[in-house]
Amino acid sequence: MGHRRFGGFATSTLIAGAILWSFATTDVELSRLVSAGPRIADFLGRMFPPDPTVMAEIRKGSAETLRIAILGSLGAVILSIPLAILASETMVSRMVFGPVRALLAFIRAVPLILVAMLMVGAVGLGPLPGIIAVAFHATGMLAKFYAEAIDGVSRAPIAALESAGAGPLVRLRHAIWPQMAPVIARDTIFRFELNLRESLILGIVGAGGIGFYIQTYVRSFQYDKAASVTIAVVVMVMAIEAINVALRRRFT
Amino acid sequence: MTTAIRIDDLNFAHPGGSVPALERVSLTISTGESVALLGPSGAGKTTLLALLDGRLHGWRGRVSVLGAPLDPDQPPPRASRPDTGFVFQEFALVERSTVLRNVLNGRLGRMAPLRALLGSPRPHDLDIARTALTDCGIADLAERRVDSLSGGQRQRVAIARCLAQEPRLILADEPVSNLDPTRAGEVLAMLTGAAQARGATALFSSHQPDLARRFAQRIIGMRNGRIVFDVPTSELQDEATAALYREAEPMPGSGLRAVS
Repeated sequence: MGHRRFGGFATSTLIAGAILWSFATTDVELSRLVSAGPRIADFLGRMFPPDPTVMAEIRKGSAETLRIAILGSLGAVILSIPLAILASETMVSRMVFGPVRALLAFIRAVPLILVAMLMVGAVGLGPLPGIIAVAFHATGMLAKFYAEAIDGVSRAPIAALESAGAGPLVRLRHAIWPQMAPVIARDTIFRFELNLRESLILGIVGAGGIGFYIQTYVRSFQYDKAASVTIAVVVMVMAIEAINVALRRRFT
Repeated sequence: MTTAIRIDDLNFAHPGGSVPALERVSLTISTGESVALLGPSGAGKTTLLALLDGRLHGWRGRVSVLGAPLDPDQPPPRASRPDTGFVFQEFALVERSTVLRNVLNGRLGRMAPLRALLGSPRPHDLDIARTALTDCGIADLAERRVDSLSGGQRQRVAIARCLAQEPRLILADEPVSNLDPTRAGEVLAMLTGAAQARGATALFSSHQPDLARRFAQRIIGMRNGRIVFDVPTSELQDEATAALYREAEPMPGSGLRAVS
């Protein structure tokens, strides 16, 4: 009880300290906020009306982003299957799953945009570095989810089928797979949604997709065209989310 | 009268366990008998049933089930396993699958390997599964997913899966311990009735003396891994069942106390 009260006090002090430290050590010139208003208004003014003549670019960029997300997700699924087995508590010893999980945590910690920049340096501009970056980055999460799906399988029905005379493959098909398949489907759809969202901006570092056009138009001060692309991105994200919600309902 | 189970001087300790789980157990059960294993938790009932199902190894003694000796170091041949049906205490069902799928899982050992792998039951398998569902009073639940069922319904699915195996011996580990008294009576009546209708031998464990009395012809009392009594139900004395559950004296030197 006393411990908990002290813990709460310590937490509050820590949060207050962090906020004060940030304020005190950042160059916050509040005067700049005053002049920001008109500038934002000017910026938004130049975005309107959005230029609808860039539909061709939007279509091309969206298709490429979609391809990057699909192929990147496929790569992540392929990489995740063996890694998930090696990260599973029930399949391998701690000597194996410990380091593999640490590796997956490391992969998750590397931001996608950083991987993409490295890949652009390694293989050049275009969708290929984007695909490789998405596959690498997504594996960190997907392999962890798959490993949890493997570990979440209840042993009892497997023993029951063995007792009923079912062989190992039949047990895999009728006791293990029905438990894992919906979880894996749900996790894969979820990761695909994230991949699609994240690959929308990959073009900013030259790794292909619709983000390339946002970057190009902003750099060349064609804000009306940038606005059109931005609206297209927002619509895509909302569409992905709606589709994903509908799909996920099927796999619970 | 043929013999369904024959056990001579069976001894078993769980790996790493210092106390024997089964000690000098001997018994014979004839075909068609309905027998209850009675005793407190930790008496060795579950261990004995799992061992008879061929799931435990490293025991000593002689055990034969349905006329075939069990190998103490190896699981029984797969072809013979459907003959012994097992009703698990925690049901052991595939939660995300339908009731019918789970009951058909009981047929897998009776199908050709490829058919079992593809999971395409013959009309004959479907007939047997449907009959098992009807006998267990859950024909209307066939297409429901198991994770949407109550405990009593799940217990019935577990029994239906066991019956779908067409077992000649039914082993049931505390088949009604998760149910309220009324349901427990109904389910045990159903289980023993279905066994009798099929000419199958039934051995079930219970920690409730009244249920054992109502549904078994013979009662075997167990405590601390040993058989304490083995009598026809009509001859069972209240004193004998009370002794099963009496608080144990602390065993000298072991530092262990029997759980009451």
